[in-house]
Amino acid sequence: MSNLLEVQDLKKYFTKTSGLLKKTEQHVKAVDNVSFTVAHGETLGLVGESGCGKSTTGRTILKLYQPTSGKIVFDGVDITNFTEKQMLPYRKKMQMIFQDPYASLNGRMTISDIIGEAIDTHKVATSAKDRDDMIANLLERVGLMKDHASRYPHEFSGGQRQRIGIARALAVNPEFIICDEPISALDVSIQAQVVNMLEEIQRKTGVGYLFIAHDLSMVKHISNRIGVMYLGQLVEIGDRDKVYSNPEHPYTKALLSAIPIPDPQSEKSKSRIVLQGDVPSPLNPPSGCHFRTRCQYCMKICKEVEPVLQTLEDNHQVACHLFS
Amino acid sequence: MKNEKILKVKGLETSFFTHLGEVKAVRNVSFDIYKGEVVGLVGESGSGKSITCMSIMKLLQHPGKIKNGEVIFKGEDLVTKSSKEMRKIQGDEISMIFQDPMTALNPVYTIGNQMVEVIRAHKKISKKEAEQTALKMLEAVGIPDPAKRMKNYPNEFSGGMRQRAIIAMALSCEPELLIADEPTTALDVTIQAQILDLLKDLRTKLDTSIIFITHDLGVIAELCDRVIVMYGGMVMEEASVIDLFSEPKNPYTIGLLKSVPNPDILIKQKLIPIPGSPPDMLNPPKGCAFCKRCEYAMEICLEEVPELYEVTKRHKSRCHLYHPDAPEVVRKQVM
Amino acid sequence: MWEPINKDLLGGAQETRKSLTYWQDVWRRLRQNIMAMTGLIMIITIALLAVFGPMFSGFTYSEQNTALANIAPNIELTSIGDGDYVFVHNDYKLINATSEGELLGAPEIIEDNKTAKFILYNINGKEVKFDYSIAQKARTKGSKVTETNSDMKTKYDIYVDGQLIDKYDVQSIWNKTYLLGTDNLGRDVWTRVLYGARISLTVGLVASVVNLFIGVLYGGIAGYEGGKVDNIMMRIVDIINSVPLLLIVILLMVVIEPGLQTIILTIGLVYWVGMARLVRGQVLSLKEQEFVLAARALGVSKAKIVIKHLIPNAIGPIVVSMMMSIPSAIFTEAFLSFIGLGVSAPEASWGTLANDALGGIRSYPYQLIVPSVAIALTMFAFNFLGDGLRDALDPRLRK
Repeated sequence: MSNLLEVQDLKKYFTKTSGLLKKTEQHVKAVDNVSFTVAHGETLGLVGESGCGKSTTGRTILKLYQPTSGKIVFDGVDITNFTEKQMLPYRKKMQMIFQDPYASLNGRMTISDIIGEAIDTHKVATSAKDRDDMIANLLERVGLMKDHASRYPHEFSGGQRQRIGIARALAVNPEFIICDEPISALDVSIQAQVVNMLEEIQRKTGVGYLFIAHDLSMVKHISNRIGVMYLGQLVEIGDRDKVYSNPEHPYTKALLSAIPIPDPQSEKSKSRIVLQGDVPSPLNPPSGCHFRTRCQYCMKICKEVEPVLQTLEDNHQVACHLFS
Repeated sequence: MKNEKILKVKGLETSFFTHLGEVKAVRNVSFDIYKGEVVGLVGESGSGKSITCMSIMKLLQHPGKIKNGEVIFKGEDLVTKSSKEMRKIQGDEISMIFQDPMTALNPVYTIGNQMVEVIRAHKKISKKEAEQTALKMLEAVGIPDPAKRMKNYPNEFSGGMRQRAIIAMALSCEPELLIADEPTTALDVTIQAQILDLLKDLRTKLDTSIIFITHDLGVIAELCDRVIVMYGGMVMEEASVIDLFSEPKNPYTIGLLKSVPNPDILIKQKLIPIPGSPPDMLNPPKGCAFCKRCEYAMEICLEEVPELYEVTKRHKSRCHLYHPDAPEVVRKQVM
Repeated sequence: MWEPINKDLLGGAQETRKSLTYWQDVWRRLRQNIMAMTGLIMIITIALLAVFGPMFSGFTYSEQNTALANIAPNIELTSIGDGDYVFVHNDYKLINATSEGELLGAPEIIEDNKTAKFILYNINGKEVKFDYSIAQKARTKGSKVTETNSDMKTKYDIYVDGQLIDKYDVQSIWNKTYLLGTDNLGRDVWTRVLYGARISLTVGLVASVVNLFIGVLYGGIAGYEGGKVDNIMMRIVDIINSVPLLLIVILLMVVIEPGLQTIILTIGLVYWVGMARLVRGQVLSLKEQEFVLAARALGVSKAKIVIKHLIPNAIGPIVVSMMMSIPSAIFTEAFLSFIGLGVSAPEASWGTLANDALGGIRSYPYQLIVPSVAIALTMFAFNFLGDGLRDALDPRLRK
């Protein structure tokens, strides 16, 4: 499998100015030195708590935010400094599915306008009839009916709206889709519908996913590989089974043990690592290893040196001084 | 678990009278809460779980109205109480905590101020004593350096800390019953784990009954003694937590359990989603609320609302399959 | 009864609920608001009257008839026998009228003796003598003007063919020729008020249209672009906002002569500022919404994002602000006209009407009351409707 997407040392800092004359500048290091790859037809899960920069990573890859530094290589082409005009053909190849099914659809447009906007922008359709057929086809692919096209978003339930969002992303036949928490706003019984559909689409079209979520059990279900982020940094990345059955980073261990399991018997027997304290402010992250303030194995070196990702075995990488 | 009943909800019906018509949010809900137990109220959005608890607390907003039923708390029917009488019970004997810790606190008062206010509203004690109680409660919920933190404003607290402070406030009058409406949904997993630990710890210390509303089956499994599953405004199944997860008796619960992955199982599971979407409560189905999505739906399911059958002792399920005339074969196949 | 049902007959699991569209819902809520509906009906009435009223009033706004100047809407008729009636004008003259209150005009004068202070008229062959010499007597006593001696009735006597008639035997009747009376040049006040309504509504309309186009686009661009562009654009807005309205009008009048154009230009120059600020704020919060990100991720152009996504979603506050800017523009116009910076004679606006009436406010208060009531009613109507729309469009009230 060749690499579809390559992210190298990606950084996205948001500058916060304050004080008189806006002189004092502070940087929120939302994404700090993140590197990973996504292969054709592969799903990379990206997990972490809120504020860890996983959504910013996704949006920066799509250049909805201009990266501060680093490199984004898509299909062998470095798109980091592309202008909006140069990006246009790549917007056809990379798409995004959003978290909030209520906020991600414009309430003043009909479903056919919403999906049609994607078709029109990239001039995929050859005629008006072709366009209508495409919309009908897309709606059927995501399990809706073609006469839904003339309806408005508020007439649909959350799950149905999310399907419309997926249809919009699929309209341009992308090779890569960033799924930004696509199921976290949905009901439990609907989540599985959407996840199964995403898997089905991948089987049929070979699309690659970057699946961003905080629900670790769903990420585990859908991903081939998983990356764990903490305070803007990637602390562990590896094959799904490796990361879940054999987590190496202390944060990953704690995160995994914190998932409540829908089984009261194993729940009672399970030993849980409960992390103390809160995530520090990304405005002023701890020196050295960002996780050291909550880490039970914190050593002297953790305070001074920022750990880098090291490859353990079989592409399992961890950023922790315990392994140096 | 002691056998003292502290809350009895009987035939509760709550509707919202909107311009489009009557939305029957809660339909004939009955259950009991015993002293010291944690009861999970699980269901999807629109299942009526939050509205049930708002009805118990009488916090319904216009155009919501309790149409029918009784809420017996310590021998008295809360439904007939005036809002003035209810105010004495709210926060004192029954407390409620809400989903979003960011909006539940008033940003212009300090945490200590708000706690003292709540305590003094229900107890005739001096400000000093109230401050002492607040301090003790903040310590009990694991807020470090509580004396200093009391002087902080809510925006100086992180999400997890705020939820702790809210729990401290809710428990400061030592209520008999705590209603927690999705208190961990807005929090991160690691913070959720902290709060769940705290609640487990507090229930053994304080002997307070808790109604825990959530949509997360994992949280239910971890915290609760007993579970009530709601769907379409009705109680679908009621059982102890062990029974519910090991031998679910209602097709809806079975479907729900099949549609969530268990991260402890290493092989890749096949998720079996429940098709369709929840019913529109403006025109609820005539029969069973779940029948349109149910694998085993029979003709009677379209016509009649099933009873809540007592399948085994303390395990109830609302399904026509438990009717004595229902086909034995299907019933066996389901369970 | 216990047979499994055929799922295909259930009509699919993908149901949608049919519900009201945004505007249907807004209209439903607006309809329930009695005040807002009253306002709406009033505005429609005023607009219809302004457009069609002058066609049916029988007069034009500039048609003068000095013989019939300053006649009130309610007149007292004195019978002079044989079914003939006269109206005694405060200016010491008689006006021929019918019993229904229609004014027939000034009768033929046989003799106007200013020394003896009487006028001799010929009305339908009768010789009518209007003797106002006693007015002088009432005055020479040097007493203060009081209720009794300032009453017109004490100042004249009427003789028909030499016979004194009872001047107190009068009937009060509504003026059928001039519904709201005439002004000091004998122009029909009703026609002029209707004509004033045209000007006021034009100004209101222009203000809202300018608001809509300049304000919305300007605010939309500033909000969407953000950063430096936003900063510069909003400072320009601040500058415009800080120059007083009066100063702009006066400065403009150096260049163009006063009139409707000046007022419209001024209002056009100034009124979009509030709208621009409002739209900018809306756009700033909307542009972080996921549907905008989705459009950007698709590569939709900036102009299309602003026009198709941002502005339609800010339409609620825009409509309310537009509605609220109309009465304030109308009032500004009336105010400027009142102080003499507005439309010039013989054109009539409510402001100039009120100003013209000021001179005769003691004798002819109706000339001031009529345009004032017109201004007040219009302002009420627009404010009621604006308030109702704000409630109806408020997203927090939507379920």
